[in-house]
Amino acid sequence: MTAIGFSTGALALGDFQTALNLVRHKRISAIELSALRVHELPDLVTALPHLDLKQFSYVAIHAPSSFDAHEEEELIIELLRNVPNRFPIVLHPDTIHDSARWTAFGAQLLIENMDRRKSDGRTAKELGAWLNRLPDAGICFDIAHAQHFDPTMTEAFRILGQFGNRIRQVHISELDSASRHFPLSYSATQAFSEVTGRIPREAAFIVESRITQNEIDSELQKVQSLVSQMELVPA
Amino acid sequence: MALTEETSSPLFKLGEVLGEDWPNLRKAFAETQTVVNELGQLLSAKASADSSIVVTGSIGRKEYTQSSDLDWYLLVDGAADARDQKTFLTVEQLISGVDRFKKGPGKEGTFGKLVFSQPIIHLIGGEEDSNKNTTRRILLLLEAIAIGESRAFDRVRKGILRRYLDEDKGLFRKDHIGNTRWVPLFLLNDLTRYWRTIAVDFAYKQFDRGNKGYSLRSVKLGTSRKLMFASGLLACFWCDPQISKIDGQEKQVQGLIDNLDEYLTRTPLERIALFFNAHLDSRDASFLKRNASAMFSAYDQFIELLNENESRDRLERLQEGKRNLTPRSNEQGHQKTIW
Repeated sequence: MTAIGFSTGALALGDFQTALNLVRHKRISAIELSALRVHELPDLVTALPHLDLKQFSYVAIHAPSSFDAHEEEELIIELLRNVPNRFPIVLHPDTIHDSARWTAFGAQLLIENMDRRKSDGRTAKELGAWLNRLPDAGICFDIAHAQHFDPTMTEAFRILGQFGNRIRQVHISELDSASRHFPLSYSATQAFSEVTGRIPREAAFIVESRITQNEIDSELQKVQSLVSQMELVPA
Repeated sequence: MALTEETSSPLFKLGEVLGEDWPNLRKAFAETQTVVNELGQLLSAKASADSSIVVTGSIGRKEYTQSSDLDWYLLVDGAADARDQKTFLTVEQLISGVDRFKKGPGKEGTFGKLVFSQPIIHLIGGEEDSNKNTTRRILLLLEAIAIGESRAFDRVRKGILRRYLDEDKGLFRKDHIGNTRWVPLFLLNDLTRYWRTIAVDFAYKQFDRGNKGYSLRSVKLGTSRKLMFASGLLACFWCDPQISKIDGQEKQVQGLIDNLDEYLTRTPLERIALFFNAHLDSRDASFLKRNASAMFSAYDQFIELLNENESRDRLERLQEGKRNLTPRSNEQGHQKTIW
């Protein structure tokens, strides 16, 4: 069964505990604990051993999306070393100052493809350069970022063709032209369905749509439908 | 269209195989690189993730000569933002301040404008697909480059290709003897329509301008314009793996966009050179080599002509029906075939 769940950031920004409470008792098997701002990471790492995560077959941590070189060395990497190996760490490539510092994370690290506003990590070629620097890292394939960069989904096709076997997690949502995450529309699901069949069945789907508590079930249903349409749900 | 280094250009690789130098093409290629670099510095940071400064014509073909003008527009592919007009005016002012581009874009009003992606992608065919819209769309595919930031340019070009391939319901369908149709006919038909439009507009301009500049336009119609059209047709046939000799081409729209997008990144001359390069080991190799040499050498001479002020001036003044320019021969014995 493909693990599907939410990013805590999408449900409650930096308040991961509230987000966990929102999905408790729902049929959700994956969670991404998000610390997109630097100041959110210490609390998350401290709380990690005490969180009730039994519900989830897949748990990932999203590292902050912006930090300086000093923070990278002295704070971010030091804190992330405390994250158990079984929890993948999602990292935006454009945040990396020194890739050598990140190699020790090996396969635990997932490099995420970026949207068109960013200057790096958007294309198969740019991702390939990062994967050369971080040879054991996997990919968090953000399907909305790929569509934002290239609405024809040709770049998504390229990324999946070249690095499909390294994809361990998928971010799914809809982005508007200002790169804000929104619930999935018909148009987005149509675009995504063109390439989801190339995503490995083992990859977990993490919903990043900014939604309210009342929208959790309907958003989940859209993603489940997309996954099942593409026959990604194993027996 | 990203400018490739001269050494990696399939055009000059073909020249090496054929033992040809094509000095005028080399010179034009290098000059284009210089002009593009200058424009890149001049217009640095003016484009954005949602807008690109698009240049078409001889610079888009890497055939810059002394008489080249600058056909450009600011292409916007993003949320409506009135600031785009300010960017456009800034770009226009900067370009008009460059001596060699003082002449400005053509008088048809197709270039030197703020242009939005929606009509280019959405309005293919039908009454609203104006001459300007068609021209911008086809030139974006066949002979254009982005100065600096190219994200919007790349996106729109793929968006156009997607339209042509999506609407082509018979694409990848097998015929009665089991052959797959790889050639995108919607695209092919629109390229052909554009070529017919150019040809008809040639007569229109003759009428409108009282034969002024007839000869030079006639020469360009039969060389650079025709070359662009031929390279577009070839792009359609390049979709067929038997023509492109690309292994593993999937019967899938994104795969074909990927292939076409890469092929269209090349200039018209390079596209044709790629075809020759791919087929020079065939049974018809000597025929192909002979024709490739003749064709590219003639084009080299055409570029030489555009770079010679005297010849070009005479051609500009030459009246229709007065073919008083004497054909010359170069040291390799190729007759000047331009007029």
